[in-house]
Amino acid sequence: MTENAIITIENLNKHFKSGDLLSKVLKDINLEIERGECIVLKGVSGSGKTTLLSIMGGLDRPSSGKVLVEGESISKLPDLHISHFRAQKIGMIFQHFNLFDHLTATENVMIPLIPARLSMDEVDQKVHSSLKLANISHKAESTAGRLSGGEKQRVAIARALVSDPAIILCDEPTANLDRDNSLKFIEILGQLHEMGKTIVVATHDPLFDTLSFANRVVPMEDGSLVGSISKGLQ
Amino acid sequence: MSEILLSNQVIVYLLSESILFGLLLIAFIITLEILIKWDFGSYSEQQFRLERRAYLVMTILLFVFVVKFLLLIYFVFAIDSLSLLVPGAMCAAGVISANDYGMLLLLLKLLILFFLLLWMAINRYDLQAKNYPLFRIKSWLFVSIFLVIAIETGVDFAYFGHIDTLEPVNCCSTLYGQLEGANPLPFGLNTMILLILFYLLYVAVMASALSSQRVSFMVALLLFVFIAYYSVVYFFGTYIYELPTHNCPFCMLQKEYYYVGYLVWGALFVGTYLGLISSVMEIGLKVERNRERMVALALLSIFVLLCTGFVAIYYLRNGVFL
Repeated sequence: MTENAIITIENLNKHFKSGDLLSKVLKDINLEIERGECIVLKGVSGSGKTTLLSIMGGLDRPSSGKVLVEGESISKLPDLHISHFRAQKIGMIFQHFNLFDHLTATENVMIPLIPARLSMDEVDQKVHSSLKLANISHKAESTAGRLSGGEKQRVAIARALVSDPAIILCDEPTANLDRDNSLKFIEILGQLHEMGKTIVVATHDPLFDTLSFANRVVPMEDGSLVGSISKGLQ
Repeated sequence: MSEILLSNQVIVYLLSESILFGLLLIAFIITLEILIKWDFGSYSEQQFRLERRAYLVMTILLFVFVVKFLLLIYFVFAIDSLSLLVPGAMCAAGVISANDYGMLLLLLKLLILFFLLLWMAINRYDLQAKNYPLFRIKSWLFVSIFLVIAIETGVDFAYFGHIDTLEPVNCCSTLYGQLEGANPLPFGLNTMILLILFYLLYVAVMASALSSQRVSFMVALLLFVFIAYYSVVYFFGTYIYELPTHNCPFCMLQKEYYYVGYLVWGALFVGTYLGLISSVMEIGLKVERNRERMVALALLSIFVLLCTGFVAIYYLRNGVFL
């Protein structure tokens, strides 16, 4: 493990059992991600990208192997601690946005701050600056159900940023967006990278092949990492 | 098969207890496997599987605790309903004394609830740390609890299977041979000394808790719950029933007395449990449990106020003591 590593994955395996059928989703994954790096996990559907991202974000646990985030093993943390870990260090952006449709954009963005028990002034300030960064302040009071796909994704970005996490994990973030909105999303991602956030994007969208600020593209195939294409630190 | 074993309440009760025992048996087998193979430092597939199974055990125990608590109330209701079948029984007190297993069963139930509550307190503390520091302690505690529950399940069947519906039993007013001339109070105490001890021990419990004398607190609490039981049955209870010869721990749980017994016994036992748990964790595990101790003191104070209140209200209304 290098000194600058923010995520270290060692001998990670994940399998699911359904009856007698054992499905090996991740096979002996070893990966190190440095602070401030932007990594694109490329692979077709079913290659294990989402599962790997879920384990990195503490949403799922491995079958075996170690996941260290900032030097702390998260794969064995009790539920209480894993929730704190996610709230403090991880911002997640999902393919289907995962917003509460009946809540406003502001309310959706506010949700990750609830466990932090901040004053309303602090919450307002954080939510406002997060919505501004994601360029969606003008829709702050609209309910999520009334927003377009691109707008929903920007609310999801604001929600991922509101607790100022060091790591942003994006799972197929442009799968439900048209090209224009995908490009806008990538632009925002570039800004986050400039801010020093560590970004991991799991995608099969060709738009990310030419991502100027990505440090590495890591191809995945059938649950394994198949080499890594370094693009050099920007 | 006896009439008792075929009554609806007993069938429901024994079936529920058997299902719980089955669940606990699964948890017990898993716990033994965990105790043998547990190695928290390992990142192997086996260790991850054991950690997931440890969560299953926790879930089962939480479920069992909740159901056991409800089943204790149901148990009282069930034996109370059996008083119609047992000659001489007017309430649960008569049915519970129908054979030698009754009181043992009740004591086992109270003991099990205490240990389950202790397990939950230790488990809660264990999960607040990142490396399960009390994992082995709580696992061994569960093994012990399981063995007691296995005995309890056996006693359950023995008790209900041996209730004779032809032989008359003693009940309420003759409980513990009071009307046969024998003094039912422990150590030959009379009512006045019993009451003095009751209030003195309450003061001792409060004083030792507030001055953080943990061992003294635990000892005072155990003595208090012992004396409090007799005080309620043989003194305060008579003011609840407004009848000097009615010495029953169960009748006050009935509708006729507005279920006030649940409040009286609930405050006493939950207060005692929380107080003992805070002491055990502080003395044995060096873990500060001020909140539990304060809740215990509040509940015990409610209990003492309730008991005293019944006597005071009776005196104010009638101008005499019983």
